[in-house]
This record gives sequence, C-alpha cells and structure tokens, in this order.
Amino acid sequence: MSVTSPATSAPVASSRFQGRGALLGAGLVILALLPLLTGASPYMLGLLISALILSGLALSWALLGNLGGMVSFGHAAFFGVGSYASALLAAKLGVPVLLAIPLGGVVATLSSIAMLPALRLSGPYFALAILAYAQIFRILATELDWLTGGAAGLQRYPGLPTLFGIDLADRAGSYVVVLACVVLFAVVYVLLRKSHVGTALRAIAESEDATRVVGVNATLLKSWMLFLSAFIAGVFGALNAHIIGFLEPDYAFSGVWSVMPIIAAVFGGYRSVLGPIFGAVVIYLFDQVIAKSLIPVGHQILLGIVLAIMVLLAPNGLAGLVRRFFTKGQFNKTSEKSHAGA
Amino acid sequence: MLELDAVTVRFGGLTALSDISFHIKKGEILGLVGPNGAGKTTLFNSISGLVKARGRITFNGTDVTGLPLHKRARAGIGRTFQIPQPMHHLSVRENLAVAQVFGAGRHDENRIDEILAVMELSHKADADAANALALQELKRLEIAKALATEPKLLLLDEVLAGLESNAKRSFMMKLKELHKLFGLTIVIVEHDIETISGLCTRAVVLNFGQLIADGSPTEVFNNPAVVESYTGTAHA
Ligand SMILES: Nc1ncnc2c1ncn2[C@@H]1O[C@H](COP(=O)(O)OP(=O)(O)O)[C@@H](O)[C@H]1O
Ligand SMILES: [Mg+2]
Repeated sequence: MSVTSPATSAPVASSRFQGRGALLGAGLVILALLPLLTGASPYMLGLLISALILSGLALSWALLGNLGGMVSFGHAAFFGVGSYASALLAAKLGVPVLLAIPLGGVVATLSSIAMLPALRLSGPYFALAILAYAQIFRILATELDWLTGGAAGLQRYPGLPTLFGIDLADRAGSYVVVLACVVLFAVVYVLLRKSHVGTALRAIAESEDATRVVGVNATLLKSWMLFLSAFIAGVFGALNAHIIGFLEPDYAFSGVWSVMPIIAAVFGGYRSVLGPIFGAVVIYLFDQVIAKSLIPVGHQILLGIVLAIMVLLAPNGLAGLVRRFFTKGQFNKTSEKSHAGA
Repeated sequence: MLELDAVTVRFGGLTALSDISFHIKKGEILGLVGPNGAGKTTLFNSISGLVKARGRITFNGTDVTGLPLHKRARAGIGRTFQIPQPMHHLSVRENLAVAQVFGAGRHDENRIDEILAVMELSHKADADAANALALQELKRLEIAKALATEPKLLLLDEVLAGLESNAKRSFMMKLKELHKLFGLTIVIVEHDIETISGLCTRAVVLNFGQLIADGSPTEVFNNPAVVESYTGTAHA
C-alpha cells in the first residue's frame, strides 16, 4: 500500500473509513460550540444562523451532485418555494410553525416534480433547465399577489414558537433549531450514502450506462434524490423565512440562493458531507465580516477570488485539506481510502 | 432463449443493423463474427436495451423490445462493454455489490467472493477505485459485474481482444468454466477464427449490418461470402 493519498482529481469513494464517523461527530461539536467560540454576541449569532441556513442549502446541493451527478443552478427555486409555502401555511391556515416548516419542504418537493423531465438531460443541459425553472417561481410569487402579497412581500406571519419553555425565536434558540436540522440531514446523507442505493447513486454520477446495465433504475433513483434535495432546500428556506420574518420574491428566489451553495460546497469540498457545511460557514463569515469591510459594494468578487484559489490549490476543498493534514505520514490504508471523506 | 425478429437499427442515414433474425438456444455458446463496423456491438446494444431497435426481441418467451435497460438486466440479460465501463469511483467489490443488489435483487457476499475468485480479482477487491485497474483487469471486472447480476444470457464484447495467444487460450478455458459453473448461455464477439472454433458450437456472421452466415464455425468460415467480407480487412 502506498503511503500518501494519490493526488488524483477524481476522489476515490469508500464506505469503510472508520475515522469518518468520529470526524463527523467532531465537526458537529465544533458547530455546536461556534457561538461560544465567537463570543456569542447577538450580531455574531445572527451571522452564524444565516451561515448555517446556507450550510443546509449547500448540503442539499452537494447531495444532488454526489448522489446522482446532477448539477443544479436553481436551488433558489426550492428554497423560495419552501419559504413561501411555510410562511403562507402558518399565516393563512394557522398551521403550527414547527409543522409548517417540514410541509414547506414537502411543497418544495412537489415543485421539483416539474423538474423530472429534465432528469433525462445530461449534465449542462440539466443545469440550464433548472436555472430557467427557478425564474418561473420568482415570477409566480410576484404575480400571484392575492396569495403572496406580490412584489410588496409578506410580513405578518408567525415566527418560531416557544417549545418546552425555550424561546426558539430568540437567536440562541434559532441557532439550535437550525443546527439540529443541519445535523439531522447530515446524518440522513451519511446513512444514505453508505447504503446500496447510495453506492449505486455515486456510480450513476460518473457512469450512468454502466449502472443501468447491471439493473439500476437510474432515472428513479435520481428522481428520489431530486425530491430529497428539494425537500432539504425547502426546509431551510422555511426556517429562514420564520427566522427573518419577511419575504419578498426578489429575496426568497434570489440567485444568491442558487450561487452561494455552489460556492460554499465547492470551497468546502462537495464530495464530502462536512465540506459543504463548513464551507458555507467559512464563506459566509468571510463574505460578511471581511469582504464587506474591504469592499462594501461588490464584495462578492472576493468570494470568486477565494474560490478560484481554493480550486487551484486544493481541488477537494476544505475537506480535502483537513484530510491531508490528518493523514499526513500515517502509514496505513485509511489514508488512501478516505477520499470520499466524512 | 433469445429470439431476434427483423431487428433493425438506424443512426440517422446509417443502417447499422438491417432485418436481423435468428435465435439463440439455451446453453449455447454462440460466436458473433464480422469486420469492424459490421454492427456487432450495436446488436448487443439493442439486445441489452442501450439503443432502440425496430423489430422484435423476445427473451425467454417475453417480448423485451420496449423494456428499459435495467429491466432487461433484471430479466437475466448480462453484458460487457467492448471498452470497459466500470463504475469508476467504486471499488471492485462495490461494483459487484451494486450489480448483485440491483441486478439479482439480493445481497450475498459469499457469492461475490466466489465471482471475484473465478475472475481473479480477489486481490483487487477492496483496493482504491475501479478506474485504477489495468485494462485486462477492467475486462475481467466487466465479466464479474455481469455475473453478479446472475444473468441467464451473457453477451461478451471482444473480451479476448489484446491477449497474447497463451493468455487467450487460458481465458477460453475460463469462459468454458463460467459457462458450466453458472449455467450460462453465451454470445461472444471475437475476431479470431481459432478462438471461435475452439469455443463455440455455432457462429453468426454480420457484415454491413446484415446477417450473411449462420452455422457451425467450420461451415461459416468456409462460406465464400464470409471469406470475401474478411479479405481486405485486418482481421482475416
Ligand atoms: N451511437 C451511434 N451513433 C451513430 N453511429 C453509430 C453508433 N453506434 C455505432 N454506430 C455505427 O454503426 C456501425 C456499426 O458499429 P458497431 O456496432 O460498433 O460495429 P462493430 O461492433 O461490429 O465493430 C458503425 O458504422 C458505427 O460507426
Ligand atoms: Mg464492436
């Protein structure tokens, strides 16, 4: 067995990496402690909540890419549909917020059904189709003003409730709720990826015909992933809606919700589970704290530069860097089996 | 077991297969012969469902012409690709596990170990990814994957190409062993006349998308039309 990880740009997948669970656990503990580490100021907590919303969205984007090989330029659609659906269910039908949020995910999933025909398109065409599709929902949200309040937006709808005496609407409470959702979906993702269905989906991403010819219904499995990804994106859209307390089409369906998860996931290492989560935290904080103070207008350009540097220096993103750090000099097999990462 | 009735495949203006009809009996090892571009791979593609064909394909009594790829695989049609198509980022074992779980509808590690041993891939089973294998290993993985789906019919596309004659002979023995061990019906694309004669009880010859001969290897290779189709090509 060779000593170091081969520096291939095509990472090797393996489901038997022992340390992966530990790494995942450690990562999640860090997330839980982040508010304390950063001083727990309300301002910082607010930033961290937004960062974690982005983490969830980035996770949902990466899941679609890894398990099925679908590149989405339109996650804003699912995010926006989830946020409007949940806010409207709570406001107009009086659905309890904690129920409305998963229902927002369900409505986002339903909206993704319209995307099914695009699954037959190959890579770039799928990406373009979903990009166009995202625009349709922004227009719908603007035009259906009797329901959505139109361009003026939606403001009077309930926020997160108080549960067991804990006010989820305050920043610490909201942070815990969002974190819990990130952890939940990360665990679902890990379990799914380890399963036979997940193994087949990883194969579909690179070798669709090879998987179909051994009996895998690639189209069906890919549609499940589209549904799951849309659901996750919808849930984080809904969480965000109830936390910030207002919605307008240009915000809820903003291209930012399509682009930022891609930047975050690629920066963090989209093939891993923790990569997109931490990529989002780092990218968001960098953008809001550092980039914004350097270039108040057009600070996003710095994100592009940071991402380009990352892709050139470490194609496997943050996750790849961390793994390289931990496996350096270890004379064991796990070093070369850890590409898929935690 | 497999019946082709007027199978025709067109790519734009090109007729890759025209009106192909023949059938394959259970337990047969059939050689599929013909110069490059004759339509052999296209025939495999239409049987396995990778390309749409006109006409009718019946497998074990059921019409599979309209069935998608994965359903044909589950029905028992296994195949290899001329240019190996492993599931690149999965290990060899994972390749077989996916094939077995989805193709055969069950998971049985012992069976996978057995296939790995027969195909001489045990030592590579858990090594990195399939795309790190050498070409001949990839070709064996192609067969192993197909076997993992527990096929009744196995379509082998030039699996012997590129082997020197000793290796070729031992691989032929291997195929005979598989044929017996797994109770298979086999169609094999192969250019080498000696191999076909040693392995097959029957051979079918394609040229320019048309079936020009069907019979025992000796009959077929003495057929003037077949000889003519091969002269002027590199494989005669
Ligand atoms: N997907 C395709 N699209 C267009 N033409 C094709 C396609 N596949 C095969 N062909 C053409 O069909 C003919 C038969 O090809 P093929 O079946 O690969 O031949 P063989 O396997 O006998 O060498 C060739 O002329 C080839 O160029
Ligand atoms: Mg061919």
